[in-house]
Amino acid sequence: MATKHHVVLPGEPIDPSLIPTHPKHPLRLGPGLRHIPPEDIVPTVAGQLITNPAKNSMWIEYNSNRYIPSQNDLVLAQILRSTSDFYLCSLSPHTAPATLPHLAFEAATKKTRPQLAPGQLVYARVSLANKHMDPELECVHPGTGKADGLGPIAGPGCAFDVSLGFARRLLMARSREEGGVGVLEMLGGEEGGGLAFETAVGRNGRVWVGSESPKTVVIVGRALQETDRLGLGLEGQRKLVKRLVKEVK
Amino acid sequence: MPREHEPSLNEKQFVTQALQENLRLDGRELDQYRPLELTFGDQHGVAEVTLGKTKVLARATAELTVPYPDRPLDGIFTISTELSPMTAPSFEVNRPTETEVLLSRLLEKTVRRSGALDTESLCLVAGKQCWSVRVDVHVLSHDGNLTDAACVAVVAALRHFRRPDASIAQGVLTVYTPAEREPVPLSWLHSPYCVTWSFFGDEGATALLDATWLEEQVRAGSCTFSMNQHGEICQIAKLGGVPVDAVALLQCASVSLTRVKEISDLVDRRLAEDLKRRDKGGFMAELRAENDR
Repeated sequence: MATKHHVVLPGEPIDPSLIPTHPKHPLRLGPGLRHIPPEDIVPTVAGQLITNPAKNSMWIEYNSNRYIPSQNDLVLAQILRSTSDFYLCSLSPHTAPATLPHLAFEAATKKTRPQLAPGQLVYARVSLANKHMDPELECVHPGTGKADGLGPIAGPGCAFDVSLGFARRLLMARSREEGGVGVLEMLGGEEGGGLAFETAVGRNGRVWVGSESPKTVVIVGRALQETDRLGLGLEGQRKLVKRLVKEVK
Repeated sequence: MPREHEPSLNEKQFVTQALQENLRLDGRELDQYRPLELTFGDQHGVAEVTLGKTKVLARATAELTVPYPDRPLDGIFTISTELSPMTAPSFEVNRPTETEVLLSRLLEKTVRRSGALDTESLCLVAGKQCWSVRVDVHVLSHDGNLTDAACVAVVAALRHFRRPDASIAQGVLTVYTPAEREPVPLSWLHSPYCVTWSFFGDEGATALLDATWLEEQVRAGSCTFSMNQHGEICQIAKLGGVPVDAVALLQCASVSLTRVKEISDLVDRRLAEDLKRRDKGGFMAELRAENDR
């Protein structure tokens, strides 16, 4: 997918040879890039410039502490309170709340909609993220009407905070090869002795880990946070998993 | 004023449920502290304490003032705490929250009212001139257990501090610069430290030490013991929360003593290391004019 990796700084002119050209598709700019008409493309953050010639798109990968919602992100939101038509949710502390309509759940009608208490965690998709507007969330695919794994999070488990870059790497389709994160596979595989758990990774830097056994939740949560904090590679992650499984008995 | 961010229901439930199995989120034992680290600044009287992700900076200063009219023989000793918006957006400048008020009250009770600093030694001329020693506590990062960390920082800063030497000859007060006379340490009587317990469950059945911010938000009650390494209790503060069995509190007190001894050892060790680092090899070595090269 990504072919070239170049570090850019905010405001720096981008080398025209890096900008992908495609005969059919229009050029698509992702996070961290801004188009200044007529033809300037300027980075707004410091990070790695990544281009995808096949899709004719380019964006900047960066690791920050502040989550800025963008459309189609999967997030772990926390219900703040309910109003007449929607729930107000927090995506990150001390930021403007996101709205989640009461009817944006699978098979929800006025009578069957889920009643969520303040503080409840919800796995949702960002359906609308415009500048200067509160983001909107949904827990249902608008086309098919299916939940696709989204919805209120129930069952025993705990949420852990990780950095935004790490959450993004966890969410990659091939996180081991491209993101260099194999810690979840290792925990469920032979290094971790086949722990049974489920996760919900939010792009807003929160990961929910669920399991019947609290010990498993603690092991998985610590493994994720340590991997993120120390920036471990695959070999380091393997050692960490073995150590944690031995430590928490 | 922005409200404090509350943990989610899922987290709250999990923390209490895991604690029933004696399991903490960071894998510590119930009576285990996070790694405590103490460093001193370049100047005398600056101490920085890190306890896991909690970080507290204390700075001691002294200036000449007039003593209070009702206590003409005592110097002035004040502790001021500051929780700035840098710590968390819910803290505001000049608008103390309950956390901040309780923190400064506890520090006052522990360090000032236990007589750790001999304030009479701060008086220079009765009723006319005295030293006013002030400790500013800045919380740089808040991840729970501010009290214990701040107390270590205050005690370490005061013990590390050197005030300018002064003398009185024929009624004339002379304060010497550091070049004229070596600054002198404060007259320090004993070192009290705080140990905070957090209680969980209906009857406070689970007691744990050094709670993180998440655990603090979930806990049912807390109790702070202040004592010195000889086991002399300076104060016990249990501000509301669930009632706790008296025998359990006694047990907490005895465990607190071992923790206080560990903290006290650490502070002594770091102070000795710092003294060694600053020591250039005695008075004669400092007076030598020859070049190192």
